[in-house]
Formats: sequence, structure tokens, C-alpha cells
Amino acid sequence: MSNPASRENGVDGPITINGETVRAIDEIVKRYPVAEAALLPVLHKVQDQLGWLPVSALDWVAKRLGLPKTRVYGVTSFYTMFKRQKPGKHRIEICTNISCSLLGAEHLRDHIAKKLNIKPGETTEDGRITFDEVECLGSCGTAPVMLVDDKFYEKLTPEKVDDVLDKLNKDDLEAGGND
Amino acid sequence: MAKVTLTIDGKTVQAEEGSTVLEAASAADIDIPTLCYAKDLEPYGGCRMCIVKVEGIRGMPPSCTTRVAEGMKVTTEDDEILQARRMVLRLLMADHPSDCLSCPANLECELQALTKKLGVREHGLIHLDRQATLDESHPVFIRDMKRCILCAKCVRTCNEVVGAGAIGLINRGHRAEPAPFLGTGIKFSNCESCGECVEHCPTGALYYREPGPEPDYEVSTICPYCGTGCGLVLGVNKGKVIRAKGDPDNPINQGHLCVKGRFGSYEFVNHPDRLKTPLVRKDGELVEASWDEALDLVVQRFKESKGDKFAALASAKEPNEDNYIMQKFARAVMKTNSVDHCARLCHASTVAGLAASFGSGAMTNSIEDMEQAEVVLVTGSNTTENHPIIGNRLRHAIDKGTKLILFDPRDIPLAGKAVIWCRQRPGTDVAWINGLMHVIIEEGLADLDYVRERCEGFEAVEELVKSYTPERVSKITGVPAQDLVEAAKLYASGKPATIIYSMGITQHTTGTDNVKSLANLAMLCGNMGKPGGGVNPLRGQNNVQGACDVGGLPNVYSGYQKVTDPAARKKFEEAWHTDLPAEAGLTITEILEAAEKGEVKALYIMGENPMLSDPDVTHVEKALKATEFLVVQDIFLTETARLADVVLPAVTFAERDGTFTNTERRVQRLHQVIPPLSGCRKDWEIICDIATRMGYPMSYESESEIQDEIAELTPSYGGITYDRLDRGDQLAWPCPTKDHPGTPILHTKKFTRGKGKFFAIEYISADELPDKDFPMVLTTGRILEHFHTGTMTRKSKSLHALVPGPYVEIHPADARHYKIRDGEKVRVSSRRGSIELIAKVGRVDRGLIFIPFHFFEAAANVLTNPAVDPVAKIPEYKVCAARLEKSA
Amino acid sequence: MTEKILTARFEKPDSYRLSSYVEDGGYEALKKALSKTPDEIIDIVKAAGLRGRGGAGFPAGVKWSFVPKESEKPKYLCVNGDEGEPGTFKDRYIMELDPHAIIEGAAIASYAFGAHVAYIYIRGEFKLPIERVENALAEARQAGFLGANILDSGYDLDIWVHPGAGAYVCGEETALIESNEGHRGMPRIKPPFPAIVGLFGGPTVVNNIETLSYVPHIINKGPEWFAAMGPEKNGGTKLFGVSGHVKRPGLYELRMGTPLRKIIYEVCGGMRGDKELKAVIPGGSSTPILTPGEIDVNMDYDSLAKIGTMFGSGAIIVIEEGTCIPRLAARLAKFYAHESCGQCTPCREGVPWIAKILDRVENGMGLPGDLDQVLKICDNIQGKTICPLGDACAMPIRAMIVKFRAEFERHVEEGGCPFGPTPTPWDSES
Repeated sequence: MSNPASRENGVDGPITINGETVRAIDEIVKRYPVAEAALLPVLHKVQDQLGWLPVSALDWVAKRLGLPKTRVYGVTSFYTMFKRQKPGKHRIEICTNISCSLLGAEHLRDHIAKKLNIKPGETTEDGRITFDEVECLGSCGTAPVMLVDDKFYEKLTPEKVDDVLDKLNKDDLEAGGND
Repeated sequence: MAKVTLTIDGKTVQAEEGSTVLEAASAADIDIPTLCYAKDLEPYGGCRMCIVKVEGIRGMPPSCTTRVAEGMKVTTEDDEILQARRMVLRLLMADHPSDCLSCPANLECELQALTKKLGVREHGLIHLDRQATLDESHPVFIRDMKRCILCAKCVRTCNEVVGAGAIGLINRGHRAEPAPFLGTGIKFSNCESCGECVEHCPTGALYYREPGPEPDYEVSTICPYCGTGCGLVLGVNKGKVIRAKGDPDNPINQGHLCVKGRFGSYEFVNHPDRLKTPLVRKDGELVEASWDEALDLVVQRFKESKGDKFAALASAKEPNEDNYIMQKFARAVMKTNSVDHCARLCHASTVAGLAASFGSGAMTNSIEDMEQAEVVLVTGSNTTENHPIIGNRLRHAIDKGTKLILFDPRDIPLAGKAVIWCRQRPGTDVAWINGLMHVIIEEGLADLDYVRERCEGFEAVEELVKSYTPERVSKITGVPAQDLVEAAKLYASGKPATIIYSMGITQHTTGTDNVKSLANLAMLCGNMGKPGGGVNPLRGQNNVQGACDVGGLPNVYSGYQKVTDPAARKKFEEAWHTDLPAEAGLTITEILEAAEKGEVKALYIMGENPMLSDPDVTHVEKALKATEFLVVQDIFLTETARLADVVLPAVTFAERDGTFTNTERRVQRLHQVIPPLSGCRKDWEIICDIATRMGYPMSYESESEIQDEIAELTPSYGGITYDRLDRGDQLAWPCPTKDHPGTPILHTKKFTRGKGKFFAIEYISADELPDKDFPMVLTTGRILEHFHTGTMTRKSKSLHALVPGPYVEIHPADARHYKIRDGEKVRVSSRRGSIELIAKVGRVDRGLIFIPFHFFEAAANVLTNPAVDPVAKIPEYKVCAARLEKSA
Repeated sequence: MTEKILTARFEKPDSYRLSSYVEDGGYEALKKALSKTPDEIIDIVKAAGLRGRGGAGFPAGVKWSFVPKESEKPKYLCVNGDEGEPGTFKDRYIMELDPHAIIEGAAIASYAFGAHVAYIYIRGEFKLPIERVENALAEARQAGFLGANILDSGYDLDIWVHPGAGAYVCGEETALIESNEGHRGMPRIKPPFPAIVGLFGGPTVVNNIETLSYVPHIINKGPEWFAAMGPEKNGGTKLFGVSGHVKRPGLYELRMGTPLRKIIYEVCGGMRGDKELKAVIPGGSSTPILTPGEIDVNMDYDSLAKIGTMFGSGAIIVIEEGTCIPRLAARLAKFYAHESCGQCTPCREGVPWIAKILDRVENGMGLPGDLDQVLKICDNIQGKTICPLGDACAMPIRAMIVKFRAEFERHVEEGGCPFGPTPTPWDSES
């Protein structure tokens, strides 16, 4: 009988952690007196390579650092940046916390949702864009703000948001389009 | 420890420095409500139920985490505190189903009890609709997280006490919950099914599928499984044993149990298949008979078979008293020393090896002692599965900083905890141990002062191990040379370091050599006779130590007094008022050989099942069938009993008093929990009855009286009485006098034999190595959920549900090679036979297969090699050549 | 009034590079410090009255002095760059624009209490700050300002970046330590305090990015210079992050004790569209809100404490007339519910409950008893949890309800929000 969890957690084929990631991880582990302490940066490195953290990646990390799998899972699920669902090619995260909210962030959130035709937390049907509403991004002096693929966009207006979305579309088309 | 004085609710209280306010209050009979507190767990401080006010401290700190201080003034209850506690309850209730009447924890729920106590009837809040998991994957218990109050006791127990780490907290805040890896299906995790989480759950979030009724009364006794010797508290309802809990007062398990202790210890006791009347073979069939009829037949046939025509098997499962009576019967009544038992099959090489090296063939240190070791070398012991509570304590020690070196070819659970894990080829132990000594001597890490002062024979070892270079040893064992060097250095660095081993070391044709080699290694680093050091064989059965101690062996009386020693013989002849045979008797394997040849005509087996436990069982069957008169005394109609001429129904451990001697030589008291089932009799009573009918009157008032006779004749048991045990004295032998405190650590000032003896031992390969026809190495052993021949565990519903049948572990690469998939049926054959069973891919090394030996329908011992160690006569269960193929 | 210490180099091109930093006299303070005894450094920082800029305001020098001189276990410095308090955006700028100041400050602090390893814990979302600090560390190592035998002093120190991964609670020092050890960010029970048992069980100091960045300046210019810049016991300048409805939101370095009114109406140019001021959150989302009548207060730890709020992280959120306070309260409660670690019952259960009730009040479904119920729950969270996250929700929510009670009640009575959708800057400017 197979573990139903592996089905629930989506596509989970075998993964290959590339040499560059492995080397980076080995360097990171050396910075700590115990391997466990490297868990957060190591998970970041693996996620940087894979785009998310499938079951097999958690297994790999647990083995590499000599940790119980439950501990790795517990940590992964505690921190919001670790993605347990495969995200779209691009990630748009808009802050709606207090300073951004005062300057209309909810309007922008609804604007983007309408434009992408998805709710916050979802990925577009073509798997291209994952959109989410997030907590304070530490950019309150230039509110409202959003992160697109880890890059800050500040003092947003609907027009600025449109420009960013259009540019994403254009870049993808130029890069081959059929992603 | 220093005391501090503080005031709690105006009452002046003395408390130990370092204790908590909660503990101090509890000692002063001041009740503070708690939810996340448990005596055996680290303070958590999360539920916020036990908050108090402390003068000079802001807010309301929890009393479970606040340490007492001199002059502290504590208020445990006022309106504000009560209000805060009530709010905690209201918030928990707002998130909790309000279906108490249908909850499995109804009336036992701590949340329910507290709401009643603090007068919170309604929470007055809206429900928060928490998403909660319902996990019904496990055959024994259910996890219903909607009733979870996040006290994290289950997680803390699983990690702090058990050390399995099967569950952890996931998510955060309001979405947090305890969960196994990936959140679903605890059955698919590394859960060890010990039930500690269920026991700790304050609500109905974790509950057994079949919770028994409340017991009418409870009795504490000792677990009948492995040699750890955990204390049990058995609950009885309407005359039946209905549950087991760990005995919190037992120093070994401190209230905790493993899966076998929790479920397997009582579920077989009232099983409908229990034998309740004697059986006698008539016209080839076993038919019911009266006790008189059966015993008359036994007496008549035994009278015809005195001397060498008779042999008896005592039992590692039976208490000391019964084993003592059995060997006395064989010697005094039947005039033979041919009495042996299955210790021959597990640790005969330990007894022989350690007696030669140190003068005493037992575990040198205590279980508790292990936690003081800086380094632990474990080899040939799957500790967490076969001695789970010792395994848990070992994991606990590792978490606190003890370093583990593991030599084991299988990927056992401890492998994940090891600093260095070496997968040696089965049967190459002498080589790697010599290799470690080579490195330790080369690197100048040996404790030569200790060796000079306390030991002898070192020069020969020093010379011999010169040729065991890491490179050469690596070739023999398959362990990388670098790992050998590191393991040697790490072991030598431990001050002290201990060695724990079990049947992976002993069950070889070189078993005695293996044991002596480990003794060499321990002496080389000066680790003997110290707390946290030693050489510690973990004994496999509840009373295998005791059965040996009281003379269930063919060459010694109780206390290892040699039958060939005229003075010892004279002592026993005088005590027993009869003459005794002067020659050593036959060992278990020799008895069977003699039976097959017709030399042994009558065989009396008490509580043993050689049809599963002995190597090459096809051959065993032949021998037993050839035996003219076979008497089997047991609780179930075992595979062996089916071949008997007379079957006598005995009682279980729960139906009697007695003593077990656990692996660390500690003698512990069994208490009768229920009266013997109607028709069943205690083993010693049956034997005494037979002896008396044969004209040698044997009669005792009670087990206590037998123990007094043992004490009188056995120097090492001389000071052990039921009175002392019932007082709570913890007595490890030697305990020669009534005022002696027992001896938890052996060989402290000098070795029992005087000087510790080094033996120079060359590596010899296993008896049967893989070849073209049988290319795999087969090794056998026990698993967590079952025990020995399954007589008891397979009658346990819970254990059966967890592991219902036999399987063989195969390395993934071998599985691919033979095109075998996980769960498929395969055939395993050796030169002696062939069995069919299910393939389980994983855990073993390449080229190796592992089969648990508990299952009659695919008995591993059909395959095993009966070749024995020349000294200890222990068979080589751990290595034989085998062939693997897909079933047709 | 504007005194540029930390922000002095922000405008320079390549301000984050070692060459630029050294050109401006960087690492001179470290040289100087290494020629003094550790105790002398602690005394200087104590005398400067440098208080923790992360929020709690504990004097840095005193914190260092709590670390035992002799310790069996190694000592550690954790630099708190987990800037997550809503409204706060100061440390990010320092990390991006002057990372060597942090490193130099961290090195001096480590020397002062005897740490040989330090970790800079940076919010995982801050990709650019992480990159800048990591590059700066590599530069400093290369140049011998870090590593073995720094500047021939015999003192060894390594500093590494430890990235967070999205958990506000990790800004709390013991949760940060847990997270730095690779665990879930669950705050620890105190005592023992980190100065005694901290990271990997060793004595540990956790200091904020901004706090440490002042240290090189204090060493260079002396404690008197620093202390003189603010009111008593509130020395130095402070990075104020102003957001919300002012004309010129942004980061301002001002002397401690600068009046709040002055910051809003002079430094930031007054209210956007010259609307009336409705309220100010003075020190980040967890500090109790102030009404217009309360803004004649000096921005320092003690003055704000006197009027029942807190200095916090110096994140000033300015709110104009027409803004719905219950909506803000609901949004804040939702944030704290999302960020609770789940350890303590009152916070884990109480904060989501508050969020749910406030959401229902804002959406017109509130019931008459709701507000009192929320206040009661706030009372039973505050001071009754392991860490201050529960307080951080309870205190501001309580203040909002108490100071704007009528507005909340109106929502309940009218069965809806009287304010309508939040106005947007792009609409008002167009």
C-alpha cells in the first residue's frame, strides 16, 4: 500500500539536485556547529533550484543533513516562503498590510485578480503566474508594493501594475512563448 | 540537593532547588490545573492553564516552567488568575467539538474535567472551523485532530521519551497540528506503535480503536517479552486482563512501554486458544485427558527412561523458580544433567566468551548506566526493535550528547542516529574488531596502564592485530578503511565508552570468538568496571539470564557451579538428599541429535518451541518425531506441542508469582494478576507433582519458598528474598547476603576471574558462504512487533494487525536484478529447504536478505545452517547461503 | 534636527562596497576597538546610552555585560535583520546601502563580549539585502576584517548570513535563535535568557541591525557625542520610517526626542491633500494608536511610554480623516493570527478569534457584545504568553477599540461600514 500523502502532495517524480546546489549546501553546512542549523538556507538552495519543495526534495534534505523527515516537514510548513505546491513560472506577491492597505493595496489586489482571472493563492490555468496576497514586505515608505519574482515594485498604481504584467507577457512571448 | 523556602498561597513550603513552582505546590498538596504538563516530559509552558502570580514578576508566568527561588511569594489562585484560566478553556472549547457524550475520551478527558472544575459551561464564542485531520490509517489507534488542544504532549513524548520522531508539529498558529511526515497516515511513518502518544493525550484526539472497559483492579508485574524487564501494570475486568500500562515506579521503563508490552503482554492471556486441559495421544490423535490420566502416563514412561535416556528443556520465558525446579527434577529425579534451554541459541557464546575473558558471563553494567557513556558502540543489536525501551533510553542519551558508533549490515532505525555507521559483511566481526584494536594501538590511544595493571595476555593480541591493517580489514569486511580508522578513534576517545551487542555477534560459528574480541577491545581502552563503560550483551528473553543463573544448563547447577566439580556436586547432593550424575549433560542441539538416533527416549519440554526456534527445523521435526515419548508443557498448542505424546496446560506469567532476572542481572518480582485459568497449573507445581508421583517428594508452599532454596544454594542469589523485592530493593546479582545492595556494575576493583584475559583471535570466515547455486547471504532476526516463535505475539490482535505475516527484506538493486517488486511473493531456498513469502524492498545491504523468524508458515529456520560454534554450541543463525527467486 | 549618521553614506554611488566604505574611514573603529579591552568597549557603549532599535529599547552595552566572561560553550552574536513589523523599513536600507557598517558594528560587539561566530539573520524575502550583506562579508573576509587574527589583533571572528523564510515571530529574539538553529520559530521560555543559554546552548546576544550600525560611530566619536544627541537615556539619532497619509513618506534620520508633530507636519510635509489627521501609530503595528490630541509628544522611549504607547521600531504610520479604524484593526488582527506560532493557547486561539470578530464587525455582522468580548480576550492574552506576539496584537487592538469605540459601535449598530471603500492615492491625485 502506498502512502496516500505522496499522492496528495502532487507530482513527485525523482529529483536531481545539481552539483552547484550540492556544493553550495556543503559550504553552508560548514558555517554551523551542527548540520541541523543549516536547514533553512539548505531548503532555500534546493527551492532555488527546483522552484518548490516536492516530497522527494524534503527526503533528500533530511538524508543530507541526517535529520528525521518529520522535523524537515515541520520546519518547511512553518515558514511561508517554502512552497509545497508547484508554483507558476512567475510569482506575484502583493502586500496588503496596514501601510499598503492605507494607500489602496486591496484595490490593486482585486485589480490583479481580475486581470489574471484567479483568486489570491492560485495559479493561472496555463501555469504561468502564481498570485498571492502577503504580509508586510518592509517597504512601507514606498507603499503600495509588490514582489514579482523576488523583485520589488513600489508606489504602485493600477497603471504600473498593468505595465509590469504586460512586460511579463512580452518577455515570455519573446522567450519562446509556449511555457 | 539544596532546599529553598518559598511561600505558596501563604503557606511556607520547602522545595528542592531547581524544581518548579508546580512541583513545589503539588508537593504541598496545592492543586494547580494543567493541560500540557506531564511528569516525564520537559516543561512546555504552552497551554497557560497553570499560570500563577509571583511577587515581583510581571504578568502571570506558568508554574510548570517557573523555577522556585528563595523567598518567592506565589499566589496560585485569585479572581484574575481564574478568569485567565477560564478564558483559556473557553478558547479551547470554541475550537473543540461539543459532542462529549459520543467522544471516546468522555469522562477521562482532562479538558472536560477542567471545564467542570472551573465552572465553564459555555464558551460564548463562535466556532473557528479549524481544518483538522482525521487519520484512520493505523490499525490500533486513531488520530482525530479536531479534538486536539495543541498541548504537544504526543509530539514531545514521541521525540523526548521514545525518540522515534514519528510525529512533529506542522504549520503554525491556529493551523498548527501534530502530524507524521507530510501530514497524513501515521501508519506510513516511522511510528513504532508504542501507544505512548495515546497514553499522553489529555483529550479524545488520540484513542485506541478498541478501548477496553475500566479495570476493576490493577496489579504490577513484569513484562514477559525481551530481557529489558519493564514493569507492567495490568488491569483486570471481570477476571480478564484487559489492558497494560507502564509501571511508573519501575526504574527501567519509568512508566513507558513498547508496542509488545502495551498490547502483546496481555492480549494472549485470555485468548480462546489457551490450553485448558491435558492432552494425550491416542491412536495418533491428541485427545483431552484428566490430569491424573496424563500424569500417570508421564510418570510411567519417565520411570522407564531415567539417566541418559531422558532430557529436558527448561525455558527462558519461565520464572527462575520453575527453571530451578526443572533442572532439579532432571538431575535429582531423572539422574541426568541433560537439561538445556534456548539460551543455547542466543547467548551461549556470551556466557562462554565473557566467562573466559572476565570470569562472569553477563552484562557488566546497568541499563541506566548507558546514559553516562560518552560513546556507545552498538553491534549486532537492533536495539530499538528488539529491546525498545533500552533503545529509547539510548536514543535519549544520544540526543543529550552521547555519540553512537554502529556496526550493522542492515539499515536499522539506529543507523540514522549514528555518528559512524559501518555495514560489515555478516560473519566478519573478529576482523573489524581486530582492525579497531590495530588502529587504537597504532595511534597510541590504548589505555596501557589499565591493561598492565588489570589484565593479562595482551602481548599476543598486540602481536596478532599488527596484521589487521585498515586496508586488509576493509577487504574482508567491506567497511571503508577510513570509517574503520574513525570508528576506532571515536571509540577510544570515549571516557567512558560502552559496548552493546546482541545476537548479531553471538549467533555465529565464531560467536565465542566475537564475544572475546569485544572483551579485548573494551579492556584495551580501560572501559571495564566503570560507570558508563563495559561490555553489555542484551539478552533476548525476559528470563534467559535467570534460566541460566538457576542451572537450566547441562554443565552447571545454579550460580554456575560446575556439575563436574565434586565439591559443588556434594553440596547439591546433600541439599537434595540424593546422588547426582557426575558428567555434564547434552546441549539442546545434541539432545535433538540423540533423540533422532533413539538415544534419548523421553523428552520433557517446558515452554519452548524448538520446531520454530532451532536451526534446520526439518531436521528438528525428524528428531522430535523419532523421540519415543515427548511431553510438552505450554500455554498454547505450539508447533512443537502438536508432535507431543502428552501436552500439559500451564499458566501464563499473569497467573502466578515468581521472579525474572533481566538482562542487567536485576531480579524482579512477578505478581499474580488473575488466578490460573481453570484446568491450568503452574509449571513448578506440575513438575513437583510428577516428581512426587515418581517417589521423590518435592513440595513447596509458594514461589517464595523455592526462591529461599535457590538463595541457600546459590552464592550470587544468596541475599535475594521476596521480602526484599517486595520492599522495592533493586537487586542485581551478585547479591550474596541479605544486607548486600546488589551489584549493578561488575569487575569494578578486579575482574571476577582476577585479571581480565586477552585472547588473540584470528578471523575465520562463516561456515557457509554464498556460491554459484546459493548466491545470497541470508541473515535472520527479530522484528519490533513480534517475538521469538510468535506463540504469544501472534495471538495478540493488535500485533497481528500490525504485522500479519512473514516477509523477506531485499536490497532494491537485488530486487531489480531478480525482477521482484515490493509486496510480491518470492521463494527463498537454502541447502536445507525452501519457503515462500512476501518481498519487502529496503533496509538490507546488497547481496544480503533478512527474514524474521517468528512465522511458522514460512519458518526462517527451515533455511538456517545448524553448524555450531565449537565452544558454545550456538548455531550460525546469522549467516547462510541462500537463493532468491520469484514465485512461480 | 536631521543628523546624518547612519544615512550619511546612503546617497553615495557604490555605498555598499568595501572600497567606498574604507574611503569614508570604515573599519577604523574596529581597529580602535581591537586596541582596547573588551570591558572598555562595553563601558563606552553603556555610556553612550545606545538602546536597542529593534523595539524593546534595552541598552545594548548592558545586554553585552550580561554575557558571562567565562563560558564552556562558545558565545554567539545574532544580528536581527528579520525586519517584519508592519510599517518598518529601516534595516532593509542599511543592509542594502551600508552593509559594512553592520559588519563593523557586529565585529566590535562580538569582540566586546567574546563571540567568535556571528550570524546575521535576514528576512528571507529580502533578496537584495541578503546579496549585499553576503558580498560585503566576502569583501571583509578578503580584506582581513573578518576571519582569523583580524588586523593582527589575535582576535578571530566569522560572520555568516542566515536567511529567514517568512515568519514574523522570528523577529522575537528566542524565536530567532530557534530559527537560526534550523527549527520552527517557536519562542523559548525565559529564563534562561539568551545571554546565559542562547544559540546552540551558548551565551548569546541578539542585537538589531540599526543598533549595531551605530556602534562604529560611537567608538570613533565617543559616547558623549552620541548621548548628547538625544534626551537623557535616549542617546543618538533614530531612523524613522514614515508611511501612510503624509505628503512625503519615507525614511528619515532624526535625533531621538524629535516631536511627533514636527515629523508629520515639517519633516514629511504634512498630511496628503491637507486632510485632517485622524490617528498615528507611533512605532510599528504593535504599538498602541495615538489620537490627534496626543501627538505633542517627543519621539523617544520614555516619553512614549509615559502616554501609554511605545517607541517600538520608530515606524510611524499616519492616518487621515475618513479612514475606517475597525478595518485597520481587523487587518492587523488577521496579520497577527497568521503569524502566531501556535504554542500558547491564548495567542493561538485568541488572536484568530479576535480577527474573526473584528472582520464581522467591519462587515456589519457584529453583535452588541462583540467589542467587550474582544477587550476581555485582549486582557487574557496580554502578559500571559511565552513571547510578546500576543501582546503585540492585544495592545494595539485594545487601544483602537478604547480610543475609537464610537466608530466600532456605529459599525455594529448600522450593520455596516460607514466609510465606504478605502480611497486610493491614484484617484485623489488624478
